[in-house]
Amino acid sequence: MGAQPRKGLRLSDILVTVLVSLVLGVVYHFWGSVYNLLKPLFFEADELLYGMWFAAATLAYLLIRKPGVAIIAEVAAAHVEVLFGSGWGLTLLMYGLIQGLGAELVFAATRYRSSSAFTVALAGAAAAVGSMLLDFFYSYTDDLQTWMFLAKYGMRIFSGAVIAGLLMLVLAKALERTGVTSLLRPASQKDYEALDDSRHV
Amino acid sequence: MNIWNPVRITWLHRANPVVKLFLVCSLFLMTVLTHDIDFVAYQALIFMLCLLALSGVRTWKMLLFFIPFLLAFISSSSSMMLFGKGDTVWWEWGLFKVSKESFYRGLHLGFKGIAFACEGLLLVTTTSSVDLFYSLMQKLKLAPKYAYSFMASIRLLPMVWEEYVIRRQALKVRGVVPIRGVRGAVNRAGMYVVPLLAQSIRRAHRVAAAMEAKRFDGDRGRRRTYFYPSRYSRYDLLTIALLAAAAYGAYAAAGHFPWFGIGDVRFD
Amino acid sequence: MSKMQRGVHFVNTVDAPNDPQGEPALYVEGLRLKYPGEERLMFKDLSFSAARGEKVLLLGPSGCGKSTLLQVLSGMIPRATEVPMKCEAQKYPASWGYVFQDPDTQFCMPFVDEELAFVLENQCIPREQMEERMQAALQAVGLELESLHVKIAHLSQGMKQRLALASALLLEPEVLFLDEPSALLDPEGREQIWTAVKAVSAGRTLIIVEHRIEEMAEYADRVVLFSPDGTILGEGTPADVFARYSRELKEFGIWYPGVWDDYAVSPSGMEVFAPLGTSSGGSRQDDSFARDLGKAARLQNREGLHPVEESGRLTGTDFTSAEQSKPAVQLAEFSGKRWDKAVITVQGAEVYPGDFIAIVGPNGAGKSSLLLSLMGLLNAEGMYLLGGEEVPLGKGRRNRKQRERMLRRIGFVFQNPELQFVTERVTDEVAYSLLVDGMSAGEAAEQARRTLERFGLDGKESRHPYQLSTGQKRRLSVATAMARQPAVLLLDEPTFGQDARNTFAILEMCERLRQAGTAIVMVTHEMRIAEQAATHIWEIRQGQLVSRMASPRLAARRAPGFQENGYPPMRAEDEAKEFGAREDNKESSGRPYAEVRS
Repeated sequence: MGAQPRKGLRLSDILVTVLVSLVLGVVYHFWGSVYNLLKPLFFEADELLYGMWFAAATLAYLLIRKPGVAIIAEVAAAHVEVLFGSGWGLTLLMYGLIQGLGAELVFAATRYRSSSAFTVALAGAAAAVGSMLLDFFYSYTDDLQTWMFLAKYGMRIFSGAVIAGLLMLVLAKALERTGVTSLLRPASQKDYEALDDSRHV
Repeated sequence: MNIWNPVRITWLHRANPVVKLFLVCSLFLMTVLTHDIDFVAYQALIFMLCLLALSGVRTWKMLLFFIPFLLAFISSSSSMMLFGKGDTVWWEWGLFKVSKESFYRGLHLGFKGIAFACEGLLLVTTTSSVDLFYSLMQKLKLAPKYAYSFMASIRLLPMVWEEYVIRRQALKVRGVVPIRGVRGAVNRAGMYVVPLLAQSIRRAHRVAAAMEAKRFDGDRGRRRTYFYPSRYSRYDLLTIALLAAAAYGAYAAAGHFPWFGIGDVRFD
Repeated sequence: MSKMQRGVHFVNTVDAPNDPQGEPALYVEGLRLKYPGEERLMFKDLSFSAARGEKVLLLGPSGCGKSTLLQVLSGMIPRATEVPMKCEAQKYPASWGYVFQDPDTQFCMPFVDEELAFVLENQCIPREQMEERMQAALQAVGLELESLHVKIAHLSQGMKQRLALASALLLEPEVLFLDEPSALLDPEGREQIWTAVKAVSAGRTLIIVEHRIEEMAEYADRVVLFSPDGTILGEGTPADVFARYSRELKEFGIWYPGVWDDYAVSPSGMEVFAPLGTSSGGSRQDDSFARDLGKAARLQNREGLHPVEESGRLTGTDFTSAEQSKPAVQLAEFSGKRWDKAVITVQGAEVYPGDFIAIVGPNGAGKSSLLLSLMGLLNAEGMYLLGGEEVPLGKGRRNRKQRERMLRRIGFVFQNPELQFVTERVTDEVAYSLLVDGMSAGEAAEQARRTLERFGLDGKESRHPYQLSTGQKRRLSVATAMARQPAVLLLDEPTFGQDARNTFAILEMCERLRQAGTAIVMVTHEMRIAEQAATHIWEIRQGQLVSRMASPRLAARRAPGFQENGYPPMRAEDEAKEFGAREDNKESSGRPYAEVRS
């Protein structure tokens, strides 16, 4: 006997993704005020903090490492912001979706195997590119002066790579050290083989 | 569970969440596709009034919520005003260049922001998450495993908050050193985030086990009966009529009483 | 651990007694199971079965796999949780329900009716039948609610567990799996859940994992005892097993009936419960009161309330030096506030070095709030003296700074140890507070090493605190507070959810500290601690400190008349009801898969 493990997302995978993302969503919500703090510094310096809003996608992937979690995570986190009555309204769900998609594409390209610093930084940057695409649509950003456009999105992509990428990798490692992430890792073939290990017989 | 504590129940509360979602998305699309500054300005005004009337939330509380909108207004308009492209230059100083085109475009973005926010809040203030996910499941065939994951997580969120409060006290008791520099700030953030997320992961995992023990089948299980069936009612029609009238009102007002009278802000 | 198996008949197979009705309700044969990343198999060729209608109690030390076995028997492993396993044969129960340990993580919906409906909807029960079934299930577990649409968050923990039982009943289970359902409940909740279980158990098979077995030990038909390595040590009727394996029960930290009495006569127990009292008849007391008259005058005026104060004070230690006989803490007209509302008020009270105060009272009465306000974590007003110096309670930066500096002399142990850890290594955890206090790195490391040794945590120095077992975590959290040798130590239910061994270990540490002159203030639901280990009992009700009394431990060496005047002897039924603390808390266990094991 002993059934084979199921593939795809389990209920616990989704639940963990959503709860972790909701917690980050609360962070997202309050991040807005931190973001506004940087505003007076010089224009668009706030873009350097923008990467926090992609954090759910990379963190959820680093925890679960299965297809789809990056998108679910970003949408779930955006959902909290909407729920708390953000000034951005439902646009946030769209942003969440497309940012998650950006990160998801990078992870898919590695066939959900890589969790290297390079991969997650790239995923953070890809999420930033996703948000940029939506900005064209919503805010005519292609009508910004060229140097401003480049500065704005350069900073955003950099921020995505650093905050959503590298910083979340550090966080995921710290969580790994607490041991809770072992709840989320599927058993390997080796673990199954150990059941028949002659040493145990 | 409605975090907004409405004091009045309006038509909007009684309407089906899916209908409201559909309505709000349509309004949304309308606002996105509006390039006429007068129309957008009237949308912002009228939906703000709708929100005050229909949300059922105390007026002063709702007005308090307009403060972030104002920030959003400034945020989305200022950079376009100061850095946008344009030919009719009004003012230039160093890197800043305000042209007629960029100014109106910036203003337009600000109004758009307010309109988005009000439309979003029309849904959020009148719909509890549980109701929304219940009807998404029943009417739009959202897979129950996603719907219930959201509902369960929302239930767990206040516990995370309680733990945050305890963690803050605990750090005070342990005498953590004051924050110094970016590194210190990151370090301190980690001191909060790691324990809270660790607890959340464990909790979510346990709730998932409990749900499966109650025969919730995440993989199949689209066929369910419902204790609270999601139904359409005349309030849906009333709501549709009301919001459609509001949108038309904004359109008509923009035609008859334009404030700016410059038309399309893309100036193409 | 092999020593406990010596001389014990070794069995790894347990069968239901011959069942005249035929087929057992469930069985598993030749089970092998291994958690990923663990060295050894959790179960090696284990067999287990239960007859229809049988009530089986699984006992064993933490981590022996009892809870895992429940999950295997129900099919939760491997259906819902992936754990590598295989077996030769297995019969799943035809229908089953499950109640877990943690009252807060069993529900996915915010309201009672929605949660119960969730269970019914999963089974596609027609809507018309739902309400009737819900009512019936709630009635069966004795949960009377004013309406079905009640927020689960507003229920007490004990009610939540009965709700969990009710939702399990909606599955019309032939077999009920109960995974430490009373572990995280107070004595009242514990009694209620077991009453409810007994009420619904007729005709059902029950497989129960529990550490805290006073309420239901005699109720089980069969007790199966596991050894730490996941093998079955023995089985039999409760009386039989308790008689044959009393040494193992002690060693595994199980709260078997009579565990307190057994502990009381053990060498360490005799020390912790050693009778105390002032041989000098309280003369010291009067001196110190006279000396402190300036600020403490108001305190004395309230003597009518407090039997202890009337005839001079009894203290835990026989300190004679004037310095040490000063109160460590004095309070007058003191109140702690949340949102500007007083949640705890103390007319007057004092704590002396060497006192062990047990704070008792119902849930939500303000016990924890008192500790938090003493620690400066809630806004407070009134008079608060610490070691004779006034603690400034006012607002403003200077007051706050000074308050924080003074309150560093107090140690605090939170209920959930994990939330107070700040480093990633056990040694660093202890050294951290010492370094904050300004100790040199070398000294702090040395002190940390000694402390860990004293708390039985040596050998774990470089572990991540989250990776310790539940009991070790709790000991570590106490160790971090004690290492600084605080003048006062505040503990918020430190024995909550702990097994018997850890509970006693914590009491022993407190006693040692108390003997060295630290004042201990502990919130507890455990009446045996209050009566036998504490020197004084404070009772809090509805936000007021309503009484302060010397405990029987302190009174034991006093004149015989004291019992009548001072401390009312407990009635037998109270004692039975309030006997015992709580169970192993899986919530805070950081071990992988901790919640599926026991």
